[in-house]
Amino acid sequence: MTAQAQGTSVASLLARLRGRGEEAGIRLPHLAGLLVFTMALAAVLGEAQLSVFILLGLAAMVTVGVSLLMGYAGQVSLGQAAFYAVGGYTAGLMSVHGLPPLLGLALAPVTAAVFAVVIGIPLLRLRGHHLAFATLATQLILLSLAGELEFLGGSIGLQGIPRFGVGGFELEDDRGYAFLVWAAVAVVVLVARNVIESRQGRGLRALATSEVAAESAGVAVGRSKLVVFALSAAFAGLAGGIYAFYVGYIAPGSFPILLSIEYVVMAVVGGLGTIWGALVGATAIILLIQLLNNIGTMEGMPSYAPSVLSYAVYSVLLIAAVLFLPGGLVPAARERLVRRRNAPVDGAHVKAPSRDTGGEITR
Amino acid sequence: MSNFLSYLINGLAVGCGFALIGSGLVAIHRVTRVVNFAQAMFAVVAGLSAASFLSAGLPHGVAELAAVLVAAAAGLVVGVLAIGRPGTSPLSALIVTLGIGIFAYAVEIVVWGDQPRSFTGLRGSFTVAGVTVQKQYLLIVAVTALTFTALALFFGRTYAGKGLTACASNPYAARVVGIDVRRMGLLAFGLGGALGGIAGVLVTPLQPISFDSDVTLIVNGFAAAIFGGLQRPGAALAGGLVLGVAEAMIAGYGLGSYQIEVALGLMLALMIWQAARTPALHEETA
Repeated sequence: MTAQAQGTSVASLLARLRGRGEEAGIRLPHLAGLLVFTMALAAVLGEAQLSVFILLGLAAMVTVGVSLLMGYAGQVSLGQAAFYAVGGYTAGLMSVHGLPPLLGLALAPVTAAVFAVVIGIPLLRLRGHHLAFATLATQLILLSLAGELEFLGGSIGLQGIPRFGVGGFELEDDRGYAFLVWAAVAVVVLVARNVIESRQGRGLRALATSEVAAESAGVAVGRSKLVVFALSAAFAGLAGGIYAFYVGYIAPGSFPILLSIEYVVMAVVGGLGTIWGALVGATAIILLIQLLNNIGTMEGMPSYAPSVLSYAVYSVLLIAAVLFLPGGLVPAARERLVRRRNAPVDGAHVKAPSRDTGGEITR
Repeated sequence: MSNFLSYLINGLAVGCGFALIGSGLVAIHRVTRVVNFAQAMFAVVAGLSAASFLSAGLPHGVAELAAVLVAAAAGLVVGVLAIGRPGTSPLSALIVTLGIGIFAYAVEIVVWGDQPRSFTGLRGSFTVAGVTVQKQYLLIVAVTALTFTALALFFGRTYAGKGLTACASNPYAARVVGIDVRRMGLLAFGLGGALGGIAGVLVTPLQPISFDSDVTLIVNGFAAAIFGGLQRPGAALAGGLVLGVAEAMIAGYGLGSYQIEVALGLMLALMIWQAARTPALHEETA
């Protein structure tokens, strides 16, 4: 039984190593196209849509990290908003005390990553549901502490965070923030891509399948997990920092557990372990939330309609995605595309990787 | 001294609630390997249902029993969704139960609104050795003791209970001897629902319950269950009582705002200690 289980996991490990190299990543011309496209959108969108566009960029940054962590390294985090909060509080606290905003923004991802390393050293010994609960617990502890500590503003939070600026130049309106956010998204995607394509990235994919098999193949399991954990935290921290400047006010209530779950939903719906999946998932969910908000606040709707609608739709999407579309939207679409292109001959071969991705949330 | 005693009794009663939720988690996990994030939802549903049944005129006892049955039915529904589809792995099922927990928010808000609700339990109190004890606390302790005794008898003496234990120790062998593993999984979910329901019905008179009370309950319940590595209901009872008393003492001696930190810190330390003792190979092939 044991030998057999090890045998199959080594086999699927090898299959994965061969199968999904360039699929999970993103090609450089595509990234450049994405950057141009989003910058153009930032330039032309109206005031009303810009705020949604900014929130979308922030969510996309965090989701790329979640997707990398869950789909690529096989570690579940239900507390990603904790790192978002760390980034937000870092940037907010520094600029409230008169330090230059640029320094605050630069330190936001660094602090989040350092925090991730500190808690990651003990927590990443845990696997599966233990790790999921531990990350959730970390966020609860952090929120409770932020609500207690005087210098973080207690439960009232940090108010009057100045707008972001460099030297004499200051970001006044939403359009400036849209440029900033999407430039940051491009950086995050580039970093994530480079990690995936590196030797270490291949090691990560191996440990998502089986830590034991990966370790015996020479992957430094503990260090690799810690690096991805810190990297995903840095992405979330960067997003949190920008969020603090954009909104100008943060409190423990800005970072509920449900926010962490939202990121997981985005990553799962889009397709775990792919960068495009994270972007598509974030876009789909943010637009859907906006739509639901519009429906929920229409006349004649009961006052609880917006929250009820969003709870219901989130959960149904999450359940349906896990049960029926385990690979997520992007891999499913790609598979269909490829299958149509090279007809039935290669069908079986193309199907295999997506099955694998399904197993991936799983271990 | 009398303060200490009243904190102790308070803590034991609250801990019984955690223990019941934790034992539901254990009952489900040991059979299906699924960690049920929707576990505390059963308590919330039962508490809110009991309040509704009572205000609809059902007598005490009947209303609570009906509420526990509602929770058991909810458990079955969660089970069908989480393990009904063949090939759903435990970690996918965990995310499914997380989704169901959020979906329940929507249902609960529509049915009961978003304000906390409560109902009066066993009224009155008496004094022992200078300590005033509410009768509801005694009721909680008594019902919990009864439930765990019944659970032990069920697992040890009945056919269905032995089947559950067989599935827990080796699903493959259980299937070979003709036990329907999936049906046993659903039975475990129903049982888990009922256990969560009992917790909800008992605890609601102490503190009003609302749709989002489940986060605190599940975190404490999980902390209780992890004492026994999510495998032993008895250990979950011990864990729940330790946790409840520890939290009551912390709150009583003036550190009330740090309750959740202590409970969660304890849980994290335990999990890390357990993980350090279990090599990865052992866990992956288990």
